[in-house]
Amino acid sequence: MSVAAAGEPKWNGGMSLFRKINIAVIVFVILYAGIAILQPNYLEPAGITNFLRRATPLAVLACGQIFVLVAGGFDLSMGALVTLTVIGGSMLTDNDPGNTAWAILVLYAIGLGVGLVNGLVVTVLRVPSIIATLGMLLSLNGVAMMWSGGSPRGYLPDNFRFFGRFTFRDVPLVGSFPVAVVVLVVVALAAWWGLQKTVFGKRVFAIGDNPRAAALSGVRVEATRIAAFVISALAAVTGGILLGGFGGVSVDVGSGLELQAIAACVIGGVQLMGGRGSVIGAVAGALTLFALFTLLNLLGLPQPLKDTAQGVILISAVASGAWRRRRAG
Amino acid sequence: MTLADTLPASRRTRRSLPVPLLLFLASAVLYVGAALYTGQLNQLGASGLVGLAQRMVGLGIVALGQTFVILAGSIDLSVANLISVSAVLASFVMQGDPAMIAPAVLLVLVVSAAVGFVNGGVVAKLGVNPLIATLGVGLILQGLLSASFNNFAGSVPEAFQGLAYGTIGIIPWSVLALLALAIIGALLLRSTRFGAHLYATGGNMDGARLAGIRTDRITILAHVICSLMAGLTGLYLASRLRSGAPWVGRDGVYDLESIAVVVIGGTLLSGGRGGVWGTLAGVLLFATLDAVFNMLGVPAFPKQVMRGAIVILAVAAYAIRNKGPVA
Amino acid sequence: MSIDAIALEMRDITKSFPGVRALEAVSFDCAHGEVHAICGENGAGKSTLIKVLGGIYQPDAGSILIEGKPAAFSHPVEARRAGISIIHQELSLLPHRTVAENIYLGLEPTRGGRLDRKAMMEGARRLLGRLGSPISADARAGDLAIAEQQTVEIAKALALDARILVMDEPTAALDDTNAKRLLDLVARLRSEGVAIVYVSHRMPEIAAIADRVTIMKDGRKVETAPIGAMPTDRIVRLMVGRELSDYYPARPDTPPGDVLLEIAGGGNAELADIDLSVRAGEIVGIAGLEGSGKAALARAIFGDQPFTRGTVRFLGAPIDLRHPRAGIEAGIGFLSDDRKREGCLLQQSLRDNLLLVRRAFASPVRGSRAGTLADGEADTMMRRLDVRAAHFGQAIGALSGGNQQKVILGRWLARDPRLLVFCEPTRGIDVAAKAAIYQLMRDVAARGRGVVMVSSDLPEVIGVSDRILVMHQGRIAGECSPEVGEEGVMALAVGHRPAPLDVAREGALA
Repeated sequence: MSVAAAGEPKWNGGMSLFRKINIAVIVFVILYAGIAILQPNYLEPAGITNFLRRATPLAVLACGQIFVLVAGGFDLSMGALVTLTVIGGSMLTDNDPGNTAWAILVLYAIGLGVGLVNGLVVTVLRVPSIIATLGMLLSLNGVAMMWSGGSPRGYLPDNFRFFGRFTFRDVPLVGSFPVAVVVLVVVALAAWWGLQKTVFGKRVFAIGDNPRAAALSGVRVEATRIAAFVISALAAVTGGILLGGFGGVSVDVGSGLELQAIAACVIGGVQLMGGRGSVIGAVAGALTLFALFTLLNLLGLPQPLKDTAQGVILISAVASGAWRRRRAG
Repeated sequence: MTLADTLPASRRTRRSLPVPLLLFLASAVLYVGAALYTGQLNQLGASGLVGLAQRMVGLGIVALGQTFVILAGSIDLSVANLISVSAVLASFVMQGDPAMIAPAVLLVLVVSAAVGFVNGGVVAKLGVNPLIATLGVGLILQGLLSASFNNFAGSVPEAFQGLAYGTIGIIPWSVLALLALAIIGALLLRSTRFGAHLYATGGNMDGARLAGIRTDRITILAHVICSLMAGLTGLYLASRLRSGAPWVGRDGVYDLESIAVVVIGGTLLSGGRGGVWGTLAGVLLFATLDAVFNMLGVPAFPKQVMRGAIVILAVAAYAIRNKGPVA
Repeated sequence: MSIDAIALEMRDITKSFPGVRALEAVSFDCAHGEVHAICGENGAGKSTLIKVLGGIYQPDAGSILIEGKPAAFSHPVEARRAGISIIHQELSLLPHRTVAENIYLGLEPTRGGRLDRKAMMEGARRLLGRLGSPISADARAGDLAIAEQQTVEIAKALALDARILVMDEPTAALDDTNAKRLLDLVARLRSEGVAIVYVSHRMPEIAAIADRVTIMKDGRKVETAPIGAMPTDRIVRLMVGRELSDYYPARPDTPPGDVLLEIAGGGNAELADIDLSVRAGEIVGIAGLEGSGKAALARAIFGDQPFTRGTVRFLGAPIDLRHPRAGIEAGIGFLSDDRKREGCLLQQSLRDNLLLVRRAFASPVRGSRAGTLADGEADTMMRRLDVRAAHFGQAIGALSGGNQQKVILGRWLARDPRLLVFCEPTRGIDVAAKAAIYQLMRDVAARGRGVVMVSSDLPEVIGVSDRILVMHQGRIAGECSPEVGEEGVMALAVGHRPAPLDVAREGALA
């Protein structure tokens, strides 16, 4: 069983490489192949970048949600914060492009506040995050409705919509390149660095795995947890700014996104209740989920079946993970 | 698990007032206070109190079911969606025809039990985290429902509306039904082997297994009970609204609120301790807050903000004493 | 004992897990009225064998005979029905339920479909009475001390009217008095004709109670023999292939250095009038019965359950530690007695576990593998500690207790605190790893650090400590040197009389 060991595992052929590839990546390739069969232009550079652009908000949310999940919690207030960002953006800018810059700053400040409150409610009031953030979801939806007077409509100013909508034309090789994809790459790299390459990230894993052991080793468990909620909230604001560029202002622009973000992470191998996960997995999970939605759309299935498919994939992803773990002993 | 870590804390517990009584007193003070403050003294009369009791029914029934799954160490996030499904199913099958009441009710109960069986099976047999399992099942239900219906579907006959609006004397049927269900639930938990095994499954799954309890079956049965309760809530809502729509469950936030009242009622979110009377007292507190908001004339959106805050604070009132780590 | 009294027979049991052959053709039997002990290092296959017997695992090959009749268990419920009751290392009580409800868990008597609570209470009282225990049948199990919980576990087994009782390290969490009481109980059950399978690491216990001993190593049975043919040193040699003599490290000749820690009049909810000092280079053992406050003292020194009274001076300056982080900042380290719950990050790699304390005090935006946090640094430390694993990127949860403990210890050595507080440092780890941990403790002291070791294992306290403080009811009952032996320490621990060679405490503090 225990063998006196050297430092590194020995390379044992292609099997370990196969195991290291996130399962979400494989599922994504299969789904995307399905999409390409139905709609060949998804294989052209413009088709690919456009797919990535539309998947970006979800991937950005997953990049935030993963911090909270790995720390052992949930952030169910993300979708409501996306809605609040879009509605708040429209109220703050009031159709004047000159207001965009400070409006975005204010929105990030709101996100910071929401993340802090989530984190403090969990750490100081000791409310389980699933309840704390659901309560936040209810409250934020109420705030958004109050702020907009109940029936927001219209569009955000063009420069606000730049991040979600604008596409660089005549880019060499790919032809066109959406700004949103740049945002995705930047956010994903930042999340990857933060969670997997820094001391802070290791602390997030530690508190998600065993908070008591972490505390006895001197880790500031509560500060780390609060920071995870703040990161998640800031990602939600970013997602909201992107989505504001996609379409009009409405009260349900963010609804359900928190579950999609969690589903994306779970598909990507992030373990609920903490301690395990990777940003690459979360992004791959988000792309997989979005590819699934796209495929259902192309197949002409009713929009609500998106939820059904999401439920099926969520359960099967977790069930297969549980099955693999049980087999491994 | 060893119990060593629970020792110091539990030894120091001081026996305080039972939770249900505490919540009942808090509700009474709030309600009477608001009525006196706003001068709506009629709220203190029989009809006002009956109205308060009536407010408890919808959330009360589903929360009773939620108590069972939480005691078993699981949770059910699909109740809101199942409520919508059963409300729509009932009114769609009935189509205003009294002869269809029995088949519709039967169908709803069968579908609910099946959903509970799936929930419990995915949790117990496939080993899926119950949050994800029931979230997934909820999404599946909601997707199928919304794909098939996008508005009020069918209607319930006059006779079926008696469930929500009929009374004995001044006491509504539905309030008596809630009380009856609560008594049955309490008996199940306190006086049957199933109850004892349910507490064991939630309190220490491995220990229960080693004691020879088939914990899988207990978990599945708890989920079936919970889903049946959600189905009954759907029937009640269809009766009350005279028809079912695919959003009735979600609009009522029955998933969050049922969990919140169970926790407020003193049941441990991790399972193994608690009971139905605490849950019912939690439901009373929520109904009271609702009534108080109405008396005070709080508009809809701020009310929603406050509801969110109250859920958090109510749970915090318990949680803050807990010294263990929270995530 | 005659052949027809054989209660249980396991023949050629083989069980594999992916990558591991846990049991290889193990045969084992136990007669009515016999205590048959199983010994072996961690990972030798004892627990797997028991789990096969209990229906938790199904064997790949081999057969089980109960009272001579073949049996196959696919669920623990079936093993129970066959009259087998297992008291697992990890207690399985429900903390929020009453003692009676726990005893009758899964066996609840009913009358007309309803639980017969009266019968449960009466039955529980009768069973506890038979065990000579004063525990109240309607107490909450979570309110009981560990020893009492163990008694309830045994009552559970009796309620089943078990003919075969399996005890997996029943005394691991008990102090010596309670362990002795438990052994008396085992003897009583044996005289009632129960077949008892007894798994333990504690050699004196086995010598005292067992009729036969089976030694296991690496998933195989090494030998079964009557206890008379198995002196302790032979058992140990068969288990690990080494002699007992080099078990404890030699004490240094050099006198201890300056005073590191000095506590005067320390107290909190569980402690009172604590006066103690620890010098650089010495190992101070803290002994005492369960609930004597010895664990609370360790946690108070570290700042986990702080002192609320008295003064603490560390390195000459007064300190007031309110939480663990403050303790670490001051220069104190702490190894918890609950490795699983308070030590390991079970899913993280050995390296991440080892670097936890260093990372807790590094800048959050620093690279997680830069400089002193690099893999190479961690690996060097683990090689020095002789951590045995497939590779150092492996999750710590897959390791044996001894290797886990070495990694956790490495976590502190990487920080190199001036004072290290060990709580039950060798609880649940095998003999070879124990010896290694003792040597590491001695090495730490030799580098001029102070070591405080809290332990329920008296031979260990006496074998390792330079001097011993004995706790009784939240106070230090006295101090003695290791020469007083187990009886001397025990006398202080039970609070009766001063130890024969008691060193005047004033003298020691000066």
